Amino acid sequence: MGFLTILKKLRQKEKEMRILMLGLDNAGKTTILKRFNGEPIDTISPTLGFNIKTLEHRGFKLNIWDVGGQKSLRSYWKNYFESTDGVAWVVDSADARRLSDCARELHSLLREERLAGATLLVLANKADLPGALTVQQIKEALDLDSIKTHHWRIVRCSAVTGENLLDGMDWMLDDIASRIFTLD
Amino acid sequence: MIVFNVWSLLQWYLRPIIKWLLRKTTKLCELQRICYGDKAGAARTCNVEKSLMLSRTRDVQEVVSFLDAVVLEKRFTPNNFYSILDPSVSIIIRVKKINPKLHGSFIVSFRRCLEQIWSYRSLVNEIEELRKTQFDSNNVEHEEKLVRLWSLLVPQEPLESRITKQWQYIGFQGDDPKTDFRGMGLLGLENLLFFASAYPQASSHVLSHSQHPKYGYTFAIVGINLTSMAYYLLKDGSAKTFMFNDKSCLPSATLFHKFYCYLFYEFDKMWIESKPQNIMEFSMIFKKFENAIRIELADPASVFRINIEVDTV
Repeated sequence: MGFLTILKKLRQKEKEMRILMLGLDNAGKTTILKRFNGEPIDTISPTLGFNIKTLEHRGFKLNIWDVGGQKSLRSYWKNYFESTDGVAWVVDSADARRLSDCARELHSLLREERLAGATLLVLANKADLPGALTVQQIKEALDLDSIKTHHWRIVRCSAVTGENLLDGMDWMLDDIASRIFTLD
Repeated sequence: MIVFNVWSLLQWYLRPIIKWLLRKTTKLCELQRICYGDKAGAARTCNVEKSLMLSRTRDVQEVVSFLDAVVLEKRFTPNNFYSILDPSVSIIIRVKKINPKLHGSFIVSFRRCLEQIWSYRSLVNEIEELRKTQFDSNNVEHEEKLVRLWSLLVPQEPLESRITKQWQYIGFQGDDPKTDFRGMGLLGLENLLFFASAYPQASSHVLSHSQHPKYGYTFAIVGINLTSMAYYLLKDGSAKTFMFNDKSCLPSATLFHKFYCYLFYEFDKMWIESKPQNIMEFSMIFKKFENAIRIELADPASVFRINIEVDTV
């Protein structure tokens, strides 16, 4: 039994998952993380660097990494790719102006070798805002249908109302679990 | 948990006994012992506040809730002090049987403590309101403040338009700062504006550090994170040390801004001294900075000054 096998076994026992939250600045990554963890969400400031939260959900131990989305920080995203099980890509549904930026960043992310196999959950956040685009519009703008390399799903959600947040997360956890915790 | 319960139970019964004993031996009530014994500033004011809050005398409790109500009505301002504080002080000296002729200096320092304690409480409300006010680009006043921030920080270069990449020069994230204030609302902008206008030398010194090729950081975003820190320190009462030790003014929005400027100046110093590899170390250094500040604030004797030594290199 090699070292990696032991590590994998250990991870299976603890049911640990590593999730990376990425997206452009002001998409709502930190707000989603805080909402998910049951913390107040009205006093958030822009993330410089990153936040990590470890939380238990449905018997899984989730390590969620929320990395700042500002342009000057994006070149550091790669430092957080190693052994990522799932990527939560957060989109500001009301920010049509930067949707093409958003698509470009997402597709360059998906070309990363170290993220191969990771589950992709696209969170169309701020869906409660007036002027928010529909899931269909975002799906097209981000050209999600062209993605063949990753399991993916897009979910309309709002960190403020909490709508659909759990559903999306649960889908991602199930997808990851069926991949890494089923014994061959 | 049990140990804690036993301790608080003991305190509940022991405190009056100890107070009675001290009262008999020193012939002074607890408030007098504090005002005569503790150094003016955070040490004295915090102890007076604690004593008032723990008091089981009905009249004292009523004075406390009266002053709290005044704060809620936003009437706790220096021009009302005479009509608000004089009756409160007389009630206290009557129930505590203090002879005003003998203890004139007690009345002066006790009154000062009341001014500080309730100014702080009304400041907490005032700051909360500013924070809750979202930056609104349809509000002419807000917009004017934002543009003024630019002209104060970068006087040599005019803004090309309202939405421009130039904003990144002073450390906003994109080409429109309006989304960067987030949960800190207008408070974040007011803080930055005060730093730039009241301390032009210090702020341009810090801004130039933020543009260091190796140890640079985003000035405005760091500033908004520091607003958040100052806000939490104010809310949980840690900032009392800073505010009560200021001899010249009572807790006020201006003093809060000064506190912020102090934090900004000190954070910049720590950041540069840490020689960070890159901006991703921010979370760690920021946490370290907060711990250092909390330790300093925990000592009521700490005095805070912005020691501006601009390096001319």
